Amino acid sequence: MSLSLTYQHVNKIFGEQSKNPVHALKDVSFTIEPGELFCLLGPSGCGKTTLLRSTAGLESITSGQILYGDRDITAIPPFRRNIGMVFQSFALYPHMNIFENVAYGLRVRKTPEAIVKEKVTEVMELVGLTEELKRNPSPTGLSGGQQQRVAIARALVYDPDILLLDEPLANLDAKLRRYMRAEIRRIQKATGITTIFVTHDQEEAMAIGDRLAVLRMGVVEQIGTSNDLYTCPDSAFVSNFIGKMNFFNGTLASPVSATLDNTPITITVKEEKARFAAPPAVGSAVLIGARPEQMEVLTSPAADTIEGVVQIIQHLGQVVRYEVIIDPSISDTPLEIDMPCMIEGVFEQDQVFVRLKEGLSSLFDVEERN
Amino acid sequence: MKSNTKLGEVVKKDITPYLVFAIPLAFMAIFLIYPMIITLARAFMPAGNKLLFGQFSLSGFTKFRESSMYRKALTNSFIVSLSVTAFTILIGVPMGYFVARVKMPGKNLMLSLGILPIIMPSFVGAFTWVILLGRQGVVRHFLNIILGPLGIEVPTIYGMFGMILCMTLTYYPFVFQLAYGAFASANSLLEEAGMLMGASRWYIFRTITFPLILPSLGAGALLVFVRAIGNFGIPAIIGGDKYVLPTLIYFRVNGFWDLNGAASIAVINVLITALVLYIQKRVINRHEYETISATHSEIKQHEGVAIRIIAIVYCVLVLVISLLPQITIIIMSFFEKWIGLLPEGFTLKHYARIPIYSKKELFNTFYLSILATVLAAILGSLIAYITERKKPKGSALLDLAIMAPFILPGTVVSVSLLSAFSGASVIALGGTYTIIVISYMIRRTPYVYRSVAASLSQLNPSLEEASTIAGANWFYTFRRVSVPLIMPAIIGGSILTLTTLLQELSTTILLYSPKTRTVPIQIYGAVADGKLGEASALSVVLLVVVFVIVYAMNRKQGQSIASSFKMG
Repeated sequence: MSLSLTYQHVNKIFGEQSKNPVHALKDVSFTIEPGELFCLLGPSGCGKTTLLRSTAGLESITSGQILYGDRDITAIPPFRRNIGMVFQSFALYPHMNIFENVAYGLRVRKTPEAIVKEKVTEVMELVGLTEELKRNPSPTGLSGGQQQRVAIARALVYDPDILLLDEPLANLDAKLRRYMRAEIRRIQKATGITTIFVTHDQEEAMAIGDRLAVLRMGVVEQIGTSNDLYTCPDSAFVSNFIGKMNFFNGTLASPVSATLDNTPITITVKEEKARFAAPPAVGSAVLIGARPEQMEVLTSPAADTIEGVVQIIQHLGQVVRYEVIIDPSISDTPLEIDMPCMIEGVFEQDQVFVRLKEGLSSLFDVEERN
Repeated sequence: MKSNTKLGEVVKKDITPYLVFAIPLAFMAIFLIYPMIITLARAFMPAGNKLLFGQFSLSGFTKFRESSMYRKALTNSFIVSLSVTAFTILIGVPMGYFVARVKMPGKNLMLSLGILPIIMPSFVGAFTWVILLGRQGVVRHFLNIILGPLGIEVPTIYGMFGMILCMTLTYYPFVFQLAYGAFASANSLLEEAGMLMGASRWYIFRTITFPLILPSLGAGALLVFVRAIGNFGIPAIIGGDKYVLPTLIYFRVNGFWDLNGAASIAVINVLITALVLYIQKRVINRHEYETISATHSEIKQHEGVAIRIIAIVYCVLVLVISLLPQITIIIMSFFEKWIGLLPEGFTLKHYARIPIYSKKELFNTFYLSILATVLAAILGSLIAYITERKKPKGSALLDLAIMAPFILPGTVVSVSLLSAFSGASVIALGGTYTIIVISYMIRRTPYVYRSVAASLSQLNPSLEEASTIAGANWFYTFRRVSVPLIMPAIIGGSILTLTTLLQELSTTILLYSPKTRTVPIQIYGAVADGKLGEASALSVVLLVVVFVIVYAMNRKQGQSIASSFKMG
């Protein structure tokens, strides 16, 4: 069984002596539990790949420590860390057949031939490539999904302490991607190796990870389960990165309510949905957030509705998404609102009235969001 | 409305391309294929220069069994080319690895200096080694003072040792540059993956890095072998009594005017080259790998002090030794003689006499080279366009035909042109400017062809299709879209052609007449007469011209010259 993996005040600065140093990781500290499947999520350039490569030892960190269990591995070179890694491009060796590719880590460890054979067969069975192993082609002759499995097998065969997956699904097509993420979760749970999975796709991260960390500009914004992050995001950024969030400019009326700018409407939220870093004074500007399913589109006005114009109607299957433009001083981006079915008589460019459903909205500090 | 117009009537066939293509094809047929056939025929005729159809004879070939001179020339050719190939790999691969993978200053300078030996005429390199290691050579003199008391005598440059040394130092840049490119552009992820799986650096080099650069190495080795076995200048100057195949051909033609005998040797020479090419293709095809990855991250460099010192010392040492000839001819060109340790008698007369005694030669060199370059550029671009874009039936054959001269030694091309067009043949060209221009075109068109074909294959055909759809005819599209886009490739190939033609010796030496003498011929003559100062001054002039052209191209295009030498 794997041990835990702990980051303590990890900093990474690229080009420290140069004129434009890049602070890629800023004081990153958290712990990944033994056997956990942990996702690092964030937009490109947020530092997630740097954190992964630092864990592998392919990058050296500027300050801080990385601990495996209680052991400090910060200074250990990559080839002594006993880590398995699956690269985005798979990095399979084109001059070796798939058996030799998978056996590589065992050959390095001078494992006896009989055990090599046994272990390769075993791991190929785990990733579901028993048939291919019999033909034993070069990896270039395999499909993307099969190459992916070979890459995973190659990383698992020597029983690594930690498994690192760097956007492993990015090169696969959409259908295969959904299938492989379930496979990866199955394989990870079967082996029980502490695993880090890096991705920029929030749907993928939510589907696969036991827990997630959202990174932005080298800072860990929030860590939690998919459900924590979706229902109780700590910031406007996280809320709009994990799923979609519509934002409205407002003014704080009480610790748990706010008035929409230029309207008489006051929105009251549940106590746990007021996600302020520190409670701001009454009267400060705040953001009111509502997810697409926490709003509704109406054809007639009421006291708590806002007037708007439908831009686009998309039927997504289980829901119908309405894109509605309202007064830009309230919300400067088109709202996305999900309705359970089409509304009779509402077409694109029609006037409608939107409402935030009661008791579902959240409050956030004002910040730049994207 | 009725619409029963046949498509064929609406789309009138544009015949311009066929007309434009017919000319280069006719040229290739008359001046490449026809002479090759005649040469092959002559190889099986009795000795002499007469075309005797119907008189089959193997005398040209049996000589390789009967005459010890022939036998030795064949063996020498093998020994020289194989050793040169081996030594260039031994020198070039570590150097390529060091410059690509070890942190050190001045890498760009090393890459640029590492090109110089190939842009200098190889026979110039040879005679400067005479100055250094000849019977009275400076370095030999010096070494003998040190080693003499120990009873060791340094061999003179003449003979096998000299040929191998000289060619190795001339051709190692091919291996060095190709190895550097392969080591520098290798996919670093493949090595990182190995490192994570627990492999040490040496293990990774053995099992991943090296196997993956083998194709590049094979290409470099082939390039060296082909050039070494076809080199005329070096064995002609320092071979002494050791003949190799190209000098043997020269000897047959110049000494006996035995074109049929020379043709037999040429056939043997080409067969060996073709065999090696075939083996290399077979081996490479088995080891050519598709790379699965697209993403590249920067490759980690060695930073250890020990390896950095070793790498810098090694590279500087190789560069200094291989650039000794350049330094030597510059010094020599200002002195009367250089026998013993120091040159004696400073003088400018070698330069002063150039305008008087070399006027015609200078004119000829530039006239012939520039004319041939322009024509080769047009021919090469057109043929590249045909094979890449029109994909006619048998384009592979066309590709083979145009690339053939690339591996043909210069002396062989001359022999084939002489076979077909000298004396009283239908088209008599002996001793004219035309025959030299044609020989230059035949030999150098592949440079432009390769360069343009590579550029075209990277160019999306939809750019041209867009022009056609917008209503442009074939010629308009070619002129306004295709040519501007492939211009850099045309210029790159042409510059390479021009610089190599300015120093051409091995073809010219069999084709020139008093009227068409060029500077390299004059240098060769001066060396033969022992006038090393005069030869040095002329070489310096040539070297400066070539260097300026190459430097200007590199500044403008920023492309490595070695990449232009690559062959598919």
